[in-house]
Amino acid sequence: MASEPESAVAVADGSAVAAIEAPRRQSGLVPTLALVAAVALLPFAIPVNIATEIVIFGLFAMSTNLLIGTAGLYSFGQAAFFGVGGYAAGYLAARGLAPLPVMLLAAALAAGLLALVIGAFSIRRTGIYFMMLTFAFNQLVYYISYSWHSVTGGEDGLAGIKRMPLDLPVIGQLSFDNHLAFYWLSACIFLAGMVALRRVVDSPLGMVLTAARLNPRRTASLGYPVHTAQLIAFVMAGAIAGIAGALFGMLYRIMPIDSVHWVASAYVVFMVLIGGTRSMLGPVIGAAIFIWLQGLFSLVWARWPLLLGLFVIVVMLFLPGGVLDLVEKARHWVTRLRSRS
Amino acid sequence: MTWLILAQLVNGIAIGMIYALMAFGLSIIKGLLNIPNFAHGAFYALGAYLCYSAIKAGVPFLLALTLAAIGSAAVGLFFDRLVLRRVKDGDYLPQLIILFGVALVIEQCLLIGWGTIGLSAAPPPLLSGAIDLGFTLVPRYIIFASVFSALVISAVWLLIERTRLGAFIRAGIDKPHMAQALGINVDLLLAFGMALGTGLAGLAGALALPLMGATSTMGGDMTALAFVVLVIGGLGSLYGAIVAGVLVGVVQSLMTVIAPSASTVIIYVAMIAILLIRPQGLLGER
Repeated sequence: MASEPESAVAVADGSAVAAIEAPRRQSGLVPTLALVAAVALLPFAIPVNIATEIVIFGLFAMSTNLLIGTAGLYSFGQAAFFGVGGYAAGYLAARGLAPLPVMLLAAALAAGLLALVIGAFSIRRTGIYFMMLTFAFNQLVYYISYSWHSVTGGEDGLAGIKRMPLDLPVIGQLSFDNHLAFYWLSACIFLAGMVALRRVVDSPLGMVLTAARLNPRRTASLGYPVHTAQLIAFVMAGAIAGIAGALFGMLYRIMPIDSVHWVASAYVVFMVLIGGTRSMLGPVIGAAIFIWLQGLFSLVWARWPLLLGLFVIVVMLFLPGGVLDLVEKARHWVTRLRSRS
Repeated sequence: MTWLILAQLVNGIAIGMIYALMAFGLSIIKGLLNIPNFAHGAFYALGAYLCYSAIKAGVPFLLALTLAAIGSAAVGLFFDRLVLRRVKDGDYLPQLIILFGVALVIEQCLLIGWGTIGLSAAPPPLLSGAIDLGFTLVPRYIIFASVFSALVISAVWLLIERTRLGAFIRAGIDKPHMAQALGINVDLLLAFGMALGTGLAGLAGALALPLMGATSTMGGDMTALAFVVLVIGGLGSLYGAIVAGVLVGVVQSLMTVIAPSASTVIIYVAMIAILLIRPQGLLGER
């Protein structure tokens, strides 16, 4: 690492610029409107609960990609934050203790605090050691959740989570007991999360993260606070994962113990990689494909993870950049055809 | 209480030897292919199910163990040729996800082939019953499992340290490009390493069958545990896995007496502590 050839650095710097420019190009008016329209139409195209799961896991996958794609931090323990957010909000809601905004805030705070602790330890290590640390912390959280029956419900899951209504000053009280109403709530939070994450990626913080991913030594030696930036990103991703977890608990009115297990962390990394890490939309598309396929396969066959496993292997082998690579390839193909005619 | 702890110590060493067998295979694959085999537990489960069928078919126990190891190695070789060699030099996150996909495929195939109900098999008549050690009764099978694991580990150790093939393997682990330049067929070596590693995982699963049975969830749990052992022993160290395997087995068994609820947590705490204080692991070198 220390004696990296100068040309490699130049290439890395070049792609850094490209990586930073890329999201800006996409955030034009037309793609934004298209996205909002797609989110608005989704519950009418597919079953509303599946649509809700897609936006919830889309939010979760986007937050994970802030670490994987932007910062190059391969966290394998994001389910811990998803789960703790779900437990924190669910615990309050199951007892009817808190209004909706407080529930979501509690989820973000609990998950963010946990991420601060885990992140402070984990970011001191890089590469596979970082991954194994986040993995181990995930399992620690899992076993604590498993044995802390009075708060998490242990093996049975935390049941009886209420969808608390929202009191708005002019409009009045909004209830989310209707599936479609809950979808709108989740979709709004998803879009807000997307805007927030886009802002982070485009901000100086995001650029430090990108630069540190491409060349950590140079970035640090230029005086940028790499560790601090990575820790902030880790906390932010954790907090958003916590909000996604809170929504998931409200959707099914139960927070199952499975959602804290390391396998759940592997699934969210699946989503990110299936879609592609190089854009904001990739992980969302990955989550949509994952949830949709899961729903489809599980209807057909009880052994659906077999098909899912095969699908993931094929995508990773032939589209290492994720499904969005296919769009990119198609675009190249079209331009080449046009230039020929 | 003292006797109970001593009994758990014996028990823990036997379980630990099986862990060591698992993690040794994982360590060989990590060393040679430089791939974190997230499907390792699936091969362990495969070994257990194959052994079950062999026993049910009336095959002698030792032969059943051998068949389980060979069967797992064959499946490992299959996935190596079909999938892994294409991603060998890539980023480790896609590798990991592919291997997780492989684990899903294997585990679901096991469920299709053997059903979702947990299976169990008794040890052969010669190995059932217990030996009186004076302070405690130790099941014969426990003793057999640990001695057998130790023998297999020693045999693989001799293979790696004392034979020409072993010299190639060590060269392949330390300096793959140099080995290639010296005319060693590294690709073939990697295939052998994958078969050896997954074969050891299958053997560990087969050995564990009379102790713990075969269930659909055994693979995922064992993958996590094998990585804990690997990290504690040192990611780059072949032999750290053996020491750490026995250590984890013993600690786990002792904790079930001292503080049952903490027996699993303590393993992960140990792993985190090792990663923070000495990331190269107990026996790893930097």
